[in-house]
Amino acid sequence: MKRGMGIADARAMHPSIDVVEADAEADRRLLEGLADWCDRYTPLVAIDGEDGLFLDVTGCTHLFGGERAMQDEILTRFFQQGFDVRAGLASTPGAAWAAARFHGDRIVGGGEEEALLSPLPLSALRIAPETRASLESVGLRTAGAVMAAPRAPLARRFGATLLLRLDQALGRLDEAVSPRLPVAPLSVERHLAEPVVLTDDIERLVSRLAVALKADLERRGEGARALALLLFRVDGAVSRIAVGTSRPMREPQLIKKLFHERLTALEQNIDAGFGFDLVRLSVLSVAAFDMLQGDLTGEAADDDADIALFADRVRARLGEAAVLKPVVVESHLPERAVAIVPFAEAPQRRIPAKRSDRTAPPMTIYPPERPVRLFRSPEPIEVPATEIPEGPPMNFRWRRALYRVARAEGPERIAAEWWRQLPGEEEAPTRDYYRIEDSEGRRYWLYRQGLYSSASQAAPRWFMHGVFA
Amino acid sequence: MLPEVNVMAMTAVARETVFALRRQIAKIEGTLPERLEAPARNTSVDAAGSDITVLRRGLAVASPDAFLHTGIEGLDAALGGGLPKAALSEIHGLETRDAGAVAGFALSLTSLILKEKQGLPVLWIGTAEIFHEAGFPYASGLHALFGIEPEQLLFSEAPKLLDALWIAEEAARMTAFAAVILEIRGSPRLLDLTATRRLHARAQSAGRPVLLLRQAGEAEPTAAPVRLIVSAAPAAARRTIAGPLDGSIGSPAFTVDIGKSRTALPGQFTLEWNPDEHAFAERTENSVAVVPVPLRGADPAPASGAVLAFPALAAPATGHQPSRQQRPAHRSPRRAG
Repeated sequence: MKRGMGIADARAMHPSIDVVEADAEADRRLLEGLADWCDRYTPLVAIDGEDGLFLDVTGCTHLFGGERAMQDEILTRFFQQGFDVRAGLASTPGAAWAAARFHGDRIVGGGEEEALLSPLPLSALRIAPETRASLESVGLRTAGAVMAAPRAPLARRFGATLLLRLDQALGRLDEAVSPRLPVAPLSVERHLAEPVVLTDDIERLVSRLAVALKADLERRGEGARALALLLFRVDGAVSRIAVGTSRPMREPQLIKKLFHERLTALEQNIDAGFGFDLVRLSVLSVAAFDMLQGDLTGEAADDDADIALFADRVRARLGEAAVLKPVVVESHLPERAVAIVPFAEAPQRRIPAKRSDRTAPPMTIYPPERPVRLFRSPEPIEVPATEIPEGPPMNFRWRRALYRVARAEGPERIAAEWWRQLPGEEEAPTRDYYRIEDSEGRRYWLYRQGLYSSASQAAPRWFMHGVFA
Repeated sequence: MLPEVNVMAMTAVARETVFALRRQIAKIEGTLPERLEAPARNTSVDAAGSDITVLRRGLAVASPDAFLHTGIEGLDAALGGGLPKAALSEIHGLETRDAGAVAGFALSLTSLILKEKQGLPVLWIGTAEIFHEAGFPYASGLHALFGIEPEQLLFSEAPKLLDALWIAEEAARMTAFAAVILEIRGSPRLLDLTATRRLHARAQSAGRPVLLLRQAGEAEPTAAPVRLIVSAAPAAARRTIAGPLDGSIGSPAFTVDIGKSRTALPGQFTLEWNPDEHAFAERTENSVAVVPVPLRGADPAPASGAVLAFPALAAPATGHQPSRQQRPAHRSPRRAG
């Protein structure tokens, strides 16, 4: 059987053949999973095309007993997971790429790139197929032949990319491997001889790693704003658990608490399988950490810090939207006037600055009354009749119950914000708000959308928008 | 008043008996149970012959500071001194549509608490269900009525009741909040005696109130020492220089029923909240026209001529329809500003 053969031909040769559709998406996911797993060797892992991974192991090889031992270990562990891989290690990405594809298992020392590449065909140079075809048509069939040819005519005829690739492979030009994940400023990890399975053990490890992290953070004068816990399972799956903090943090106890909440929330989603053999705690982002002097008794509680920690724990367990903060926005539309934002995104509490007289809003003796509860989306109500066309309703039906209006105040007319309107968009109808008290003393905020102006327009609709105390 | 009792060289059995008796007495007296605490240095309780100091820190003998005074003498007396500050308190609404009144009453209590603990934030926890059914708290409305700054407010919306309870338990043990409000709907099985006891114990040790708002809930056995049933009462009319303004909706009012308290005294009070002074006032019968004047009854046009002390009572109930020319375009008064 050959590559590119039709299904009918293949069936003719082997009638019992199993045909599986190519699934590029699944292949990609698998490659990303492998890249995640390779994170254990270096933080700089990049995906190369459809079938390759670049690992920048600069400065990492000594952790695994040298280049040869590291490459052997990677190949062995991939083989044990059931993958047939080829690897090449060289001082330039281009040479390593060629070594992996044309030698299988080779380590190229510094300065040996030219010797490696010379006998190899042109496809070892990572150039486009058209360039390769035209180079072959002029008789340059190996990389060595291209290297020997004069550079200026090559660049003129075949473009700059060819020489760029050549120079990169030979180490004359630097080539950066761009990692698929941002590199964490700080990471601590622990290789385990015996894999851990229990959540309690993982938490204990987190707190030990956090102790190691604290010293580094102290030296840098920083605290962690985002942390990630990477759990490498024995069979190659990697779980990544991230938590965010509202203010820079470096205390191991607090970091442990945050991960405790996160792990509790994720308990069902983390499949420990045969256990995790590598646990890594990374600081994804840092911020300057301001040391504060406590008082002599050590009792002065920093309330804001307590609340920030509380919010972080709730967020770690229940998600970003679990702790919300209202932020007043300058708008007269009731639903826009107060924005509800997640705690982490809200501006920090501060003492309100004294406004200068010029910017101070005009004093109103009677600020418009606003309800204590506002429905997220106004609920339509049925209004059978109003006393006068533009007046308050006499009774209304809301959520299938009839309410009789005893008293009403209003209207307060609130028009749409024309400055937020897109050009060509139809103007939103104005709203006339009424404060209503029903016969049992409950107070509501209703509005009529639109006016009874002309017969051509649709009849105005009524909505329930809020409840007063 | 016995703030501190030194019990010298008391055997463990005798001490137990004394504790039990004290508890019995407290129960008979209708006061809150006391907490008996041994100081930390006596790590081994059974160490015979050691001096044991028993601190009586029960609310029965605690300073009057332990209660939040509502400012209404009758209500404070019926509750045995006021609403306990370091405790779980239940505030019930009979129907979901009472959510506005229940929230308003809870917030006015919070506002009273904030008078002492200025600047501390308030946490309002609710399930997604109740926030959808009854509306999300609206910060600018709360600011105008109760003086709670938007920066002081924190909301927590839990997808499930179990999560809401967890957040409430975590928050109740913190001293950084002035008050924690937990709002739920109905009478779920999860919120049983054990769950409320946990909340109550945390509130006691932190010394902060936890207000449990139950919309459309039934009275169930819980650990909360106080249960108040709140419903809306017709608002007072707006006060003007010319007396109360007919047909206007002024400051909010609540009808508060005592469902459960340590003194077990029944009582129903109609309270009016003064948003300017942030204080309650009791509405006694017939001081204001509780039953509002029918909308089409009174004719405001002639009222501008002669001002009566109680125009509401003087106005004819029905009939006397004004002519078309006399009728103003809008019967309800427009508000200035």
